[in-house]
Amino acid sequence: MNIEILQQPDSAIAKITLNSGEELIAEAGSMIAMSGYINASTTLRKGKGGGIMGGLKRMLTGESLFLSVFRSPNSGGEVFLAPKMLGDLLHYQVSEPGIIVQATSYLASESNVDIGLGWQGFKSIFSGESIFWLDISGQGSVLLSSFGAIYEIPVNGEYIVDTGHIVAFEKSLSFEVTKAGSSWVGSLLGVGGEGLVCRFKGKGRIFCQTHNANAFGLLIGSQLPAK
Amino acid sequence: MKHEIRYKPSFAVIFVTLEPGESITAEAGAMTSMDARISMKTHFSGGFFSGLLKKFLGGESLFVNTFSNPTQQSLQIVLTQSTIGDIACIDLRGNGICFQPGAYIAHTPGVNMGLKWAGFSSYFAGEGLFKLQLSGTGQVFFGAYGGLTQKRINGEFIVDSGHLVAYEPNIKMSLGLAGGLIGSVTSGEGIINRLSGSGVIYLQSRSIDGLVRFLRPKFF
Repeated sequence: MNIEILQQPDSAIAKITLNSGEELIAEAGSMIAMSGYINASTTLRKGKGGGIMGGLKRMLTGESLFLSVFRSPNSGGEVFLAPKMLGDLLHYQVSEPGIIVQATSYLASESNVDIGLGWQGFKSIFSGESIFWLDISGQGSVLLSSFGAIYEIPVNGEYIVDTGHIVAFEKSLSFEVTKAGSSWVGSLLGVGGEGLVCRFKGKGRIFCQTHNANAFGLLIGSQLPAK
Repeated sequence: MKHEIRYKPSFAVIFVTLEPGESITAEAGAMTSMDARISMKTHFSGGFFSGLLKKFLGGESLFVNTFSNPTQQSLQIVLTQSTIGDIACIDLRGNGICFQPGAYIAHTPGVNMGLKWAGFSSYFAGEGLFKLQLSGTGQVFFGAYGGLTQKRINGEFIVDSGHLVAYEPNIKMSLGLAGGLIGSVTSGEGIINRLSGSGVIYLQSRSIDGLVRFLRPKFF
């Protein structure tokens, strides 16, 4: 499988070239073009996070119930994938111990990459935002999308990220959801606007997005009529 | 303090390097990520009463956060705005700059945040009774939806009110209709800003109002 990312960072799109018999798993609705002979089907992931319950869980995490599967019968089959929002794409090589991904950032993966659903590592209630997470492990390529550009922070020690700006982080990092400043009152009332943040510890990489889709949505949404 | 604005012009963000003892003050919610050793303190923007005025009359947040580096190493913090678009930095040397609501992002010590009376016409145009004014010596960061265009004016200059981002304080602003009532409605230009004086203004290439007007009919 060969992955090429074009049009970075404003409106990134991925061009994936498949070898014979290779399988690409992608978020339903993300295919924008492909070779005519590619077999496209939909799946409910088997195994961890698979089956009907896994599918239902995916619905709860705001993802679609089905994932698309693209298989090329011969070498050189092409699939073009794109996320819905303006922004960047990241090609990440998954290996042990894996990576935690914000659910809306998942775009596609190779078939031997496992997608674990309903990861409850963050107490979402306390972080004040309904963000859901995928626990991605196994071996192979994964494609992640963002709202805005993606920048990488190699952490060695401690680092703080606003929860709305996390695209993904390596599982070698430990973390806690905490207050940004020294005052609990300020953080809980959200008066400083920073609310609660994620404090990472250890050694590993974090991928952050420059913009927060929720914040932009609130800015626009507050001026739109109620549906 | 060193800074670099990356991913211009669509997704601009500010990467700030704070040297030991340095600090930067930013609008509530501007912090994207930072070294965990940076300390953050929340306070009223420009004092309690001025903060209240800003909140209710100027359309800006009541609170700002000051990030400082208490260590002996240089540390990095990343700041952004809620809209996608460009960010610019202005070096103030005793002069000032006025911002339309939502444009302000951050400033360095030595710069004071204050309010400038904008008048009732500004209030009726939905842009607040007061304008945020930053003055002093230091750097100020502000952002826009779309690209930023700097323009030096001398005399009268007319801008669409949704596209004006910042202007120097000696520039006078009066709001009005673009070419009479009927003309304004039919040409779709709506309310315009009639600027007069000499100084620098900043325009944004797109406006949130424009996006909202485009999206609104699709909701029915």
